Order: sequence, then structure tokens, then C-alpha cells
Amino acid sequence: MLLQLLVNGLIIGSIYSIVALGYALIYNTTRIFHIAYASIYMFSSYMLLSFYRNLNIPFIISFIIAIGLTILLSILIEILVYRPLNKKRSSLNVIMISSIGVMIIIINMIAIFYGNETKILNPNISKSISIGNIIITYTQLAQFIVSLILIFIFLIFLKYTKFGIKTRAMRDDSILCKVFGMDINRMRLMFFMLSAFFAAVGSGLVAYDVGMDPYVGMPMLLIAVVALIIGGVGRFEAPILGGFIIGILQSLAVWAFSSRWQDAVTFILLILFLLLRPQGLLGEKKRAV
Amino acid sequence: MNYIFHIIIIINIYIILTVSTNLLVGMANLISLAQAAFYGFGAYLGVLALMILKLPMIPTIFFVMFFTALLSLIIAFPSLRLKGDYFILATLGFQLIVFTILYNWVSVTRGPYGIPGIPAPKLIGIIPISGIIPFLILSSILAGFVIFIFYKLVHSPFGRVLKGLRDDEIAVKSLGRNVTKYKILTFAISSAFIGIAGFIYASYVTYIDPTSFNLDEAIFILAAVLIGGTGNIKGPVVGAVFVVILPELLRFVGFPDSIAANLRQIVYGLALIILMRYRPQGIAGEYKLQ
Repeated sequence: MLLQLLVNGLIIGSIYSIVALGYALIYNTTRIFHIAYASIYMFSSYMLLSFYRNLNIPFIISFIIAIGLTILLSILIEILVYRPLNKKRSSLNVIMISSIGVMIIIINMIAIFYGNETKILNPNISKSISIGNIIITYTQLAQFIVSLILIFIFLIFLKYTKFGIKTRAMRDDSILCKVFGMDINRMRLMFFMLSAFFAAVGSGLVAYDVGMDPYVGMPMLLIAVVALIIGGVGRFEAPILGGFIIGILQSLAVWAFSSRWQDAVTFILLILFLLLRPQGLLGEKKRAV
Repeated sequence: MNYIFHIIIIINIYIILTVSTNLLVGMANLISLAQAAFYGFGAYLGVLALMILKLPMIPTIFFVMFFTALLSLIIAFPSLRLKGDYFILATLGFQLIVFTILYNWVSVTRGPYGIPGIPAPKLIGIIPISGIIPFLILSSILAGFVIFIFYKLVHSPFGRVLKGLRDDEIAVKSLGRNVTKYKILTFAISSAFIGIAGFIYASYVTYIDPTSFNLDEAIFILAAVLIGGTGNIKGPVVGAVFVVILPELLRFVGFPDSIAANLRQIVYGLALIILMRYRPQGIAGEYKLQ
């Protein structure tokens, strides 16, 4: 039982990791408290639903279209909302409130078009394999493998490509990057695209397992934020570590109490980290404000 | 006519919420996403006082204010050491924990089943206040009282220190003021008055359940303050009137109820984006959000 829960935690943790990674890409480089990320995550599931279930397009193609549309939405948010505010040198709080506005609009648009109720993407019960006492469904297997591959590719990109080096430079000092003649707007656009990509992949894989409703984004965003904080703001390995920790801890919470207290465990963890180790597990002592 | 009275009562409740929240957002530049948690504390503590302790009305109000303020200190002490995003995150975490507790601790709060049949508060222990007219009077008096208190507070030396704090924290520190003490006091005062709103809501509706005090409600209260405007008294009052009247207007225009709820949210979202871009002080506020 415990072993099964640990495996489940590890698998859902891998999903948390990539979603948190997408969030960290924005937060670490632009410092935007990107609350609209919740709606981007949710949007992708619904696009997948439209193409796969309503138009009967094969899953892989639907998935790619959904990812593409989600990236487009993310770009639109950056260009229409964040970039003008950034140009006006608005404070980060102002940008955050605008982000809340964007989230409210997208969630309610989806609710108007698709309804408030839960939608199922895959009505069949997923086939499973069993290793000893542990049962893993094919969906879970896909979640785990895809997430791991993406994490792996991203870390290599970050370390060895020019884009990765620029990303790390943006994280350290975006003003200095501007001074050195980097095209900041283009970089930001790349981050928003990449982050939407991670959200869309995670969202699709989760939706295939458990379905969706218009409000799935917020809990996922909160997990992403907590993963980033406990891993350590400013490092790209951090949300990955944080995501796995939360996944496993939530499973343990199910084992020790009941599934009702999963959320409480996550947020108590957040408060503890904010108080005792605000720089996170991997962060340096200096706190970025 | 009762319909109009009902709307005025709801406006009064939201005026208390927004004016108190303004003390944090507009006066001390502390953006809190835990306001619905204190609103909920007020409601549940009010129920405790009315149903179990059987207190009369005025002691109930003081009971609610005192204990909401006390509970707010649990989050105030730790989170006020944090800055910017981290403060918002801590309040967000607190809001979610409170909601989870209200929702899941069924033996105490009855969780999702809610608490029905909340008795009418009794003035001086004998005259019960129930029905729409008495509540109209009660809520108007309390809203007026809260506005009066905050008006005095804004124009007092305390209010001036807060404004200084919001504009330049280091300058205030260098003048020898204890910044943390002021912030904690602000947090407690704001929460105490939000508790009153919870008490009125609980005794007016006579039924409460945790979903009235979730994160969406917290975002809604914050949105109301920011739409109306921050930094003075006029702004939050305008905000409260706006967010309560708008859905009623949409209903009159003739949108079906199924869409109306989502549509009004979309209007709030748009209002937030447009105001933040072109008028960060809100419709009638004086302080541009930093």
C-alpha cells in the first residue's frame, strides 16, 4: 500500500515538476507573479477536448494542436497585457493584479462555452501493468516518461545551448542583459512560449487521466508556486525537486490522514518554508526581493 | 422594495469588507489574499457567540472583533517579516489552509453541510433583530461606524505613519518608528472590522458554509477594493457599490442567469486589466498601487 502510494506520488510529482518548471521559467526571469498561468494550464485541456473528443482528430495530432493554441494564448497575454505594463514600468504588484484579471476572464470564457461541469477526455479505463504489488496504468507510465524526457532535455538545453546561457543571464540580471544588447522582448516571448508548452503538456497528460473542469488551473498553479518556493527561487532545478517532493508528500498525506488534507499539507509546507528557509532547499542565503 | 433593501444590505457588508481591506492595500501597501479567511472567521465566530455562548448583540460584535484580530496575529507575526511576493504567498497559503480546515473539520464546523438556522442577534438581550428592515438599519449603522472609524484613522497620526510606511518604508524606519509593530497593528485592526462583516452576513443569511469564504471570495474582495480605488475612503465605497450593483444591472439587461454569473466575472477581470493599465489608483482612489 505504502509503496503503491509512493509510486503514485512520484508519477504525479513528475507532472508537478514540469508544470512548476513552466512557471519558474517566467518567475525566475521576469519576476512576474504569473497567476494567469492557471488559466493557460486549464485552456490547454479544453483545446485537447475540442479536437480529440468533439472533432475526433487522433490524439497525438489533437495534442499538438492544443499545445500550439496554448502557446499562442500565452504569447497574446505577454504582448497585450504584460509588455505594455512593463513598458510603463508598472510595479510587479500592478502586473500581478492584471494577471488575476486575465485569469478571471479566460476561466469564465471557458465556463461559458464548455459549462462548469467536469468533462472526461478518455472514457475508457486505462490498461495497466503490475510489477509485484504495484499497479501502474499506461497513462501514468506516459505521464512519467514524457515528464522525465522533457525535464532531461530542458536541463541539457539550459546548460549547453546559447539560449540556455541567455536564460540564466536573464535570471541573474535582466537590466544587464539589456545593456549588453540582448533583445529582452524576444527573450521574454521565448519564455512565455516555453512555459505554455510545459503547462500544456502537463495539462493534457493529467486531463487524459482524470478529466477537467474550468477551475483545475488554480490548484495546479499553487502547487507550482509552492514547488518553486521549496526548491528555491532562482534555480531551474528547484521546481523539479519541489514538484517531486510535493507529489510524494501528498501521497504520504493520503496514507497518514486522508485525501481531504492533501491541500493543507502542501500549504503548511509553504508557510514553513517561507518562515524557516525562504531561500528554499537549493537557494543561496541571499533573499531576492 | 425588499429587493432594493436586500441589495443595500449586501452593499453595506461589502463596504465594511473593502474599507477594511483598503487599510492594508491602500494605506500600508500590503496586498493580502487572506481577507476571505477573516471574513469567514467573523462569520463562524459570530455563530459561536450567538448559538453556543448565547451572547446578546453588542457583546457578540466585540467578541467577533477581538477573536478575529487575535487569529489574524497567527498570520501577521510571521508573514509581515516577508516582503512583496512572499507576503502575498503567505496570505494565500493561510487562506487555503483556513478554507481546508473549515471545509474538512466536520465535527466542529459541519464542513460542507454548513450551519443552518443561525438565531437572530438580540439587542440588549431582548429585542431580536430579524427581517429585512432591522438588518437594513443594523448594517447601515455598522457600515457607517466602520467608515467613520477608518476616516478618523486615515487622518490620525497613525494613518500618517502608515502612509509614510507605504511610500517609503526606510524613511519611516529612520525616523525611529517600529515598522513591524505598525504593520501588525494595521493587520489586526483590518481583520477585526472584517470580522464584523462576517457576523452581519451570518446573521442576515442565517446559513453559512465554507464556500462563501474561499479563495475566489478573497480575490473578489481584493478586486472590489482595487476597482474602486485605494488610499482614501471614497474609493473602496465606490468599489463595493460597483461590484454589488453590476450583476444586478446585467440581470436587468436580460442575460440568462447561466451566463450572467460568468459574464460579470469577465467584466471584473476586464475592469482590473484596464484600470491597472490606465488608472492604477482605481475609479475613485488616490493611491497608485506600487
